[in-house]
This record gives sequence, C-alpha cells and structure tokens, in this order.
Amino acid sequence: MNQFQYVRPTKQKAAIDAFGREADTQFIAGGTNLLDLMKRGVMNPTKLVDINRLPLDRIDRDKGTLLIGALALNSTVAEHPQVRQLHPLLGQALSAGASAQLRNMATVGGNMLQRTRCYYFYDTAMPCNKREPGSGCGALEGYNRMHAIFGFSDKCIAVHPSDMSVALVALDATVLVSGPKGDRRIPFGGLHRLPGDTPQRDTNLEPGELITAVSIPDNPFTKNVHYLKVRERASYAFALVSVAAALHIENNVIRDARLAMGGVAHKPWRLTEAEKSLIGKLATEATFRQAADVAMQGARAFKHNAYKLKMAPNSIIQALKQAAAVA
Amino acid sequence: MKDLFFKDGVIGDPMNRVDGRLKVTGGARYSAEYELPGLVHSALVGSTIAKGRITSIDTKAAERAPGVMAVITHVNSIKVPGFAASAHPSEPSTIGQPLRVFYDEKIYFNDQPVAIVVADTLERARYAAGLVKVQYAAEQHQTSFDANTSRAVLPTSAKRNPKSPLADYDRGQTNAFQTAPVKLEAEYVIPSEMHNPMELQAIVAHWEAADKLTVYDKVQAVKGTQKAFAKDWKIPEENVKVIATFVGGAFGNGLHNWPHETAAIIAAKMVGRPVKLMLTREQMFTMVGYRPHAWQRVGIGATPDGKLVGITHEATGQTSSYEEFTESTLQQTRMMYQSPNVTTRYRILPLDVSTPIWMRGPGEATGAFALESALDELSYLLNIDPIELRLRNYTDQDPEKNLPWSTKFLKECYQMGADRIGWNKRPAKPGTLRDGDWLVGYGMGVGTFGANRRPAKARARLLANGTVLLQSATTDIGPGTGTVMVQIAADALGLPPKAIVFELGNSTFPEAPSQGGSATVASVGSAVVAACAELKKKLLELGGPGFSGAKPEDVTINSRVQMRAYNSSLPLEIGLRTNASVKVSYSDVLQRNGGQEVEVVGEGRPGNERQKYSMYSFSVHFAEVKVHTMTGEVRVTKMVSCADAGTIVNHKTAGNQMIGGAVGGIGMALTEAAVIDHRFGRYVTKDFAEYHVPVQADAPAIEVAFVDKPDLLVDPMGTKGIGEIAIIGVAPAIANAVFNATGKRIRELPITPDKLI
Amino acid sequence: MADQNPDQHPTGPKPGHNGARRTFLKQSTALTAFALTPGPVLKAAGSAWDEKVAAAIEQVPLRLDINGKKYKLSVEPRTTLLDLLREQLHLTGTKKGCDYGQCGACTVHVDGQRINSCLTLAVMQDGKKVTTIEGLAEGEKLHPIQEAFIKHDGFQCGYCTPGQIMSAVACIREGHANSEGEIREYMSGNICRCGAYPNIVAAIQEVKNGGQKV
Repeated sequence: MNQFQYVRPTKQKAAIDAFGREADTQFIAGGTNLLDLMKRGVMNPTKLVDINRLPLDRIDRDKGTLLIGALALNSTVAEHPQVRQLHPLLGQALSAGASAQLRNMATVGGNMLQRTRCYYFYDTAMPCNKREPGSGCGALEGYNRMHAIFGFSDKCIAVHPSDMSVALVALDATVLVSGPKGDRRIPFGGLHRLPGDTPQRDTNLEPGELITAVSIPDNPFTKNVHYLKVRERASYAFALVSVAAALHIENNVIRDARLAMGGVAHKPWRLTEAEKSLIGKLATEATFRQAADVAMQGARAFKHNAYKLKMAPNSIIQALKQAAAVA
Repeated sequence: MKDLFFKDGVIGDPMNRVDGRLKVTGGARYSAEYELPGLVHSALVGSTIAKGRITSIDTKAAERAPGVMAVITHVNSIKVPGFAASAHPSEPSTIGQPLRVFYDEKIYFNDQPVAIVVADTLERARYAAGLVKVQYAAEQHQTSFDANTSRAVLPTSAKRNPKSPLADYDRGQTNAFQTAPVKLEAEYVIPSEMHNPMELQAIVAHWEAADKLTVYDKVQAVKGTQKAFAKDWKIPEENVKVIATFVGGAFGNGLHNWPHETAAIIAAKMVGRPVKLMLTREQMFTMVGYRPHAWQRVGIGATPDGKLVGITHEATGQTSSYEEFTESTLQQTRMMYQSPNVTTRYRILPLDVSTPIWMRGPGEATGAFALESALDELSYLLNIDPIELRLRNYTDQDPEKNLPWSTKFLKECYQMGADRIGWNKRPAKPGTLRDGDWLVGYGMGVGTFGANRRPAKARARLLANGTVLLQSATTDIGPGTGTVMVQIAADALGLPPKAIVFELGNSTFPEAPSQGGSATVASVGSAVVAACAELKKKLLELGGPGFSGAKPEDVTINSRVQMRAYNSSLPLEIGLRTNASVKVSYSDVLQRNGGQEVEVVGEGRPGNERQKYSMYSFSVHFAEVKVHTMTGEVRVTKMVSCADAGTIVNHKTAGNQMIGGAVGGIGMALTEAAVIDHRFGRYVTKDFAEYHVPVQADAPAIEVAFVDKPDLLVDPMGTKGIGEIAIIGVAPAIANAVFNATGKRIRELPITPDKLI
Repeated sequence: MADQNPDQHPTGPKPGHNGARRTFLKQSTALTAFALTPGPVLKAAGSAWDEKVAAAIEQVPLRLDINGKKYKLSVEPRTTLLDLLREQLHLTGTKKGCDYGQCGACTVHVDGQRINSCLTLAVMQDGKKVTTIEGLAEGEKLHPIQEAFIKHDGFQCGYCTPGQIMSAVACIREGHANSEGEIREYMSGNICRCGAYPNIVAAIQEVKNGGQKV
C-alpha cells in the first residue's frame, strides 16, 4: 500500500473541502473494499478523507420516507426495527451480504460504492479497462463465469457485487448527495452506470461528492418479499445471481410488484417490464414464469456464464414464489 | 482400545488437547510470530509471465523507498552454494530440479519469485515490492491441461523401475472390462485444488553466524527441512535449526521446501538480520503446491449379478516443467475390489506451472473420485445397491500383493454407516425423493490409504519433579500429535497424562519423519513406546539391588500416585509393580546416574511383518444431499464417516480429524477450483472470495464412527492412520448422492450450481 | 519512543512509533555498518531516499485502549489495525489468514463489535476500545467460550481459533446463537480449513444454553 495523507474531519463541509480537487483522493468509511483494493495496488489514492466521525449514521422516519444515514452500518440497518417492519426486503438483502464482521464495518454508502469483484480488475498484471482504461477487458474473452448478461459493453462485462443495492433499486430509493456544488438527490437507479466506453466510472457521482443518506419511500411491500441469493457456497460468497422480489398481493391478485436482479449487470438491474407484467395477475407460478421470460429479454451470455440464462429466470420464479409464499 | 499396556489406561480417552489452552488464548506461536532482535520484514515480487526470461529489472525506485534495506534479484543475489550443481542437492520429494530462486533469468511459472524486498517495516517492504519493474522476453507458455494432453508421459521413476507403483499395471487381461456383459466407460476430471491452510506460509530466517542458520518455518518436516537447507548452504546439518512448534494447517503443502523459504534465507544472509517473510493469500496459490488437475478414465465391467470382470483406470496428473510430481492415484483401484483383471496407467503432464504437492488424501482422493463414482454408475446399470455391489466384490486378501490384510474391518464400516445415515431411505430410482423445492439423494464412497509407518526416535527424560519429558522432531499441523503422544506415553509408563510433557517441532530433537501420509502416530507413537521401555530399562539398571532380576516392564514411576491424580510435589519413587516392597527414591537413582536426570532415546522401526501382510486403513463415507430444483444449489445435509483405522488413541481429536476430512471433501466435491486463464497462464481465482473453501454454513451434522480395533501388526499401539482416509472417498460419496437426488452424473468437480441447473 | 506507553518494550528499530525521518536516517547509517552485507545491497541502504516519497510519510498520533491497557502511539496511516497488533505491539494472538476480509482469522472487538482487523486502518480506530483474544480471559480464568472450545475440540491447528472465539463471543452477545442454523450462518465469516465446524457450533451452543455470562 502506498503512503497517503490522512485526514479525519468531523464536519461534513470540512470533509468535502478536504477532498479538494485532487483526483486521487478517496473518502473512506468502513474501508472493507477500499483497503482491500489498496493492498493489491488496484486503487492508490494519495489522500484519504476518513468520514467516520461525521454525524451521518442516523436512521429516521419522516414524512413517509425512511432516511438511512450513509454511515449507518450494514448490520445496524439489517436489524433495525423500522427496516424490518417497513422494508424487510432491504434487511434480507443486507443479511445475505458478506459476513457478520464485515457488516459491522461496512456502511450503507460504502456498500453502494463497492467495486466489482471481476478477477481481472483485481489483478494488476491483467488487462482491465475499469482499472486501467485502454488496457482491454480481460474477461470478455477470458474466464467470465461471474460476469454480466445485461447492459455490458465491449469495454467491460463486470457486474456490481452489492446485495443491498439490488433491494434499494427495487424499493425506489433515492440517494442524497452533498458535494462542492451543493446538495442533490439521485434516484437509486441513476446512481450506478452501465460501462459503455467509460467502465472506469462506476457511478454518476462527481468528484468530491459525498453520499450522506439514502431515503426509501413508504411502500406496501412489507410482507410478500424475498431476497434470493444463489452462490457457490452456503454463505459468505458473492452472488452468481440474486433476485429482490417484492409483491403487494390482495386476494391473491398482484396489485404492485418490484423486481431487481444482482450479479447480472454493471449495476443493480431493475426489471421494470417484468414488474408491469405481474400487476393485475394472479400470484401463481405461471404468472411468475411469464414475468421471468419478460425479464430475460435481451440477455446475452459469454463463454462461461451461459448458465445464468437459466439460473436468472429460475431464480426470479423462485424468489417470486417465496415472496408470494406459493408452494 | 483400553488396557493396551496397562489396565484402565488412557489410550482411547477423549482427552482435551494438551495445547488447547495455548490455542484458545492466542498463546500458541506460529512461524511469523517469533520476535527476534533486529528482525526486518520482506515481500516477494512475482513474475507476471508464465514462461520466458527476465530481460531487465529496475530496482531503483524500490531501493530509494523509505526503510528499504535491500532489493534482491537474480542480478545481485548471492548464489546458494548448493545451487551450483546441475542437480539440486537437497533431496526433493519430487524428481527433477526444484526452483533455484534468484539463480538466473529464467521464468518457469507465473508469479515465480523474481525479487525480494527487505525493509524495516512490513508496510514499507510491501510498498517497495510494488515499485520493482521487471521486463521480460516472454515465450509461448503451455498451462492448459486440455490443450496438452498428448504430451503426457510416464514418470521417470516408472521408467527406471518397472515395478514402481507408478508403472503400467496389468492384472490378468488388459482392458478385460470390455468383454463384460455389463460395462461402462467414463471420464472424470478434477481441477487443481489449493491446500489453503489458514496460516499463510511464513518463515523467519536467522543466520546466527556465517555458517549457522535458524529458521522458524511453516513445515511438516523439521528434519527434512534441516537436511535440505544444510545441503543448499553446504553447512553441517547440526548448524541448521528448524523450529515449527505450531503449524497453522498445511494439508501437505509443508512437505516440500519452497522458493520463498530460500528467498528469505538469502535475504537474511545478505542484510545480516533476521528476515520475516509471510506470503500473501494469492501467493499461496502459486508457490507452495496444490492438488494437481487430473483427468481420469475408468472402464468397468461386471457380470449381471455384479461380479467385476475388469477395471481399467487411466489417470494423468499435471506437474511442472521442472519437477516431476507424482502421487498414488491408482492405488485403490488395484487393491480394493476382487476383480480378476485390472489395468492401470498413470501419466504426468508437465506444464508451465509451479510444482504440485500432496494435498490431503493425495492421489488416492483423486483416484477414489473416479473409481467410486464408476462403481456407483455400474450399480445403477446393474440395478444392485451400491453397498451390495461392493460386498459382492469384497476381497479377503490384497489382490495386488497377494498378501493377507493385517486387519480389515471394512464390512463393519459399511454397516455402521448405512445404519447411521439411514441408507434405507435412499430411493433406488434417482430424482424421486423430494423435500419441497429440494431433491434429496444419498450416496456413499470408499477410501483407503496405506497404514504407513516409518522409523522414528524419541527422547525420554525423567525430571526430578516426576515429569517425563518426551521429545521428537515430529510436527503437529492440527491432528493433536502432542496430545496422543502424551496418552501413549502415559499408558506405556503407567503414569497420568499430567505427568507427561511431549515436545515437538524442533530439529534438535531425535529424528522423526515428516507429518504426512497418515503415519505420525504409528511412527512416532512407536518411538514413544520404545523410549518409555528404554526409560524403564535404565531405571531398572539404576534401581539398585532390589531390582535385580526384575523385568523392565514391571518398573513403575511414582507407584504411589494414582492414575489421574498426579501431584508433582510428591517425592518421586521408582518401584516394581510385582513387588510393592521394592522401591528407591529418584534422588538415589539420580546419584547413581552421576547426578544427571535419567534420559534415554528410543527408536521404533517397522519390521518384516510389512513383507508378510498388506496394511491399509479403510473408510466409508455417506452423504445425504439436497439439490435445489430451480437454482441448482447443492447442500450436504448430513454426513456419516466410518473408519477402520485401528486403535483410536483419542476419540475426541480423531473424531475431529474425520469431521475435518469430510468438510475438506465437501469443498472438493462442491466448491473448490483454482482456475487459470491460459492466455496469461495466470490464476484468476486466487483468494478466498473466488476460491471457495467450505464455510461454517456448508458443514452439516457429521457423524463419525470408528471400528476401533487394534492392528498390532502395524505398530505396538495398533493404530493405522486417519488423516487421509478422512477425505478419500468423500467427494464421490457426495457426487453419487447428487446423482441419486437428480439423476445427473457430474464427472467434473466441483459440482457447482451451473452444472445442475 | 518517549510518547510510548512505558509498558511497551522497544525491541529493535520501530520507525512506526515516532520521528519518521530521524529514524530513517539513523537506520540508514546503521545499516551501512553491516559487515555481512555484500556490495549490491549497500546500494539500496546507502542511497538517499526519494525526498518526495519520504516527505509524504507522516506519522499520525493514535490512542487506543487494547485489552484494558491504554496505548499512546504514533503510526503510519496505512498501518492496519491487524498489523499494528501483530507487528508493532506483538499481540500475535490475532491472526492474518488472508489480509482481505475473507477469512475472519483477524477478528477482534472494537467497542464491543466484532470486525475484521485487517480491513481497517489503525488510525480509523483512534480513541476506541479494542479487545483481542489476549484480553478475553480474566487472568488465569478462561472465558466460557474458550473453555467450551477446549472441551468440544473446536479447532485443530489453532490458527483460526482466536478469530473463531472472538466471533463466537460476539455471536452470542448479538443474539445470533439461537439455533444451530443461526450459529452456522453467523459464524460463516470465520473459515476453519481444518473443518472443525460442527465442534465450534457445539461449543457455542453449550455456552449459550448454559446461560453463562458471555
């Protein structure tokens, strides 16, 4: 790890000011991904702004939204009574991620900003356009077992590894951001980017912008929800495919639905068309199968991830079944 | 096995580990944890090509970095004197030329150490290592097993010796399975798997004088390491001291000496300070061995009533371009079943990769995956229960060596396991048992491993406080060696365990073999028994007139002290169990011994019974699995592992070892694969996030059952070894259960969800 | 070393503790004196360090309470809590198994919460209370979890054990030890390659069900 300047402001403005204009400054919160990447030389910031002493860890309900501070810990949020009561999908997704120790370190803001686990991104001796623009995509013609089936480009086929973000995009969350040019709100679906020609940019945050909170509007998805995570061992592994499914069912009829997938794209993958296809239908396996068909339109696989073309729709069906408690 | 040496002995007791307290308090000290004055840190730089040569190394930036004391490469490295010869002078566990670190510009595998950076702190060493810039002239590498299968060759040792177990083997007719009325032929593949012990490979190298080296090293063989480094550096063996008091797991990767060890020793010599080197997790994939990628083909044929007609088993395992690594992949096929015709062919395939090394249940676990899967496949073709099929081909003597078994209680294992797993629940027709969204299946697999024993010595000293101190240059990588040695000595001396201290992991102790091949208890335990007998003999000699004519085995130490009620403050007395009136105080004995504490060295070595009997441990593993119908996920929901491993010296530690083997087998079967991107010849899955070893949630309830009958032909305790058979046969048991659950036969491990969906 | 806790015994050079530049220069001089050191190596030790790099190295003051003992330290910001414990304070009970938060061997408690000490900078924990395996027992009296690990043989090689134990204590305190299944899930952040998992569960269940104070 290279040496870096370390500052630990206690005020939000000071943190943003401390970021300065230097491109190689990073905010550090939990550090669970950034330090991992720094140890391997994948990221080499020359200045770290430790934001852990900022008062950004509150969880409050106000005017029909639940506001979760960016520094609230994954474990805290997962077990928070209001999260469990109002947004159980989020709690499930958080609990499916990482380990108990990491959830005690990782923050909500940091979780969103974690970087891909693509093998080629992680190894500085291999090509990766995300790490080193112009060096090529190692995964495209390489070992792409974990990689995207949606929204990729010929520059990058990496996937976003967060579980929490899959739930947040499904729940229509909004990200609250503060930066040198002031505050702004980003709909969760607009936070992460598709790789396109600039895979080095994971998100639409501008330099120096700090996520301060995420807000989730009240919704009817308090009961029929399920976060399904398919992975290569029973726990403590990144998803091959994950599905956040939320249904609002009345008299066995689906009144509203939310559906998103993880492990399939460069961003948490909201399935809006599939959601529409569910609304007004009976909560049956046949309905779910047809939604999965809709969801998979446009999916394309590479040499080693063709299994996802089957695993993804199956997981959608399974998650919806479990959300609806359909045997 | 009670009453082996004494009535109501402690052999067999589920005694707590003697080093348990150290391990639960953080007091156990592993290789990287020795504090030496002036100790400095280091980090390795690895090559980024798989084959070719270094054209230049720019070390300037690294040298200028704060705290850096040395940047050592092939350009400026002192040459290890033993490297000058064309052949490596140490006795490699493989045929060939172990990598000569910093010797020349040649690159043999990706991440080969090309530089070591020494600095005053770990952070500085690691950072500066990243500043070393290396230019290469790359040559076309070959790392793909599949693309090079035509280059597989017979190992040199088989060429030299046609009777080698690695040589082509034909019992009866070659490929006779083809003539059988019921037959099948199938190919099986396992990927390279990494030992990945939790402790990263680490060494502290310290030149105490120009010709005197001490290493605190993560090894399974302190004596072997001592010899290797003595030869490397052309110094007397006694000038090399190897300390490995605690070894944080190894599973075989401590059975060879690796480039990083020599790199640290070179660095220590060059900077004149003790140098610490701990590998990164990625480096654990590239320079300390692995279970090699292997392809196998099994042809098996039987009569309709399930009598085997023939088995043909071919195997090819990967090795490096500079060393020939071989293992006993086909052993089980030759001796396990009563087949009149058996054909085996073993080949190795040299690739531009680092050298593999034995990984738990080494080749046998690989071979058993193919053999025991093929038998399972055959059982469905024949419509005969898999256990019944094996019983119909049971052998009452070793069909390979034509010798009687020393002991074999395999039938008992089948029965115990079938009862415990609930074998009667197994559906005869695959894919028919369901539990909600999950398909349920049952499978079993058999394992066997030689009940090996090697010569070993132990020292025994009776201290004035009544403690018997035993020392032997063995190691304990986790099975509980120290604990069982205390139990063996306690019974051999008729003393409570508290009165015994057993020390290991130090090359200055009497010679013992490496901790490998499931031979430690048989080898070192025999030495302990011998040392205890010697001690009694010596005490008898020194006991004085009352003892004349008595037998050594009747000598007692502190006869007044009841077993399990040891009190070190009691005055020590030597007596005779045949005559309570004969006793002498230890202080008198000491006086007769010139004031010295009585000390002896005992040696145990196998005798000619090994020519008369065939000696093996046996295991049978049973798995219950559930496979998700939608996601393809496999969960092992229950396992039963049964073993005929002779006397079980400690049911607690032995049971734990069996459980551990089962968990390792779950990883082998379901999750573990080290994958190389052949374009770069470089591993892509090389940490715990990408190379999935089982976690707590993957481990089901695992029941262990031992036959626990002594095999006194193997050693005086009657033990046969557990470490390997704990995993051999587990992977096929799980694969067979997956077939039983789903009707899908997965012949390439690991059985990941994508293969079942 | 003036600002160090007097209980900390300095052994050898410890530039991690104060006056970075001064220490470098001192060592640089000292190193050239090593008679054993052959020519090419001296180049590295003898040459002046890159001024720009050296200027960026600042030591940061750090106060920690570790196992009830107060430490006043000065560290490089890049030093992880794990490396501080192991390499500078010689509290080697906390283990390094991967250095990437993927194995749990480095688990310690910070302000009572279990975390991976490899993935946090020591300076980020300024002012916090750290408990390591060395601080779990009360003198000679082992913590009930430590006793239970011995009794149930919840380990083999022992390397993951300190992390398992720290995690197990937290697992019970958090209320995540209510069933075998829950323990298995909430202990999955601690890899045991020896595979002693069922024994670890048994140890945790015994303590949890025994109702001892954890």
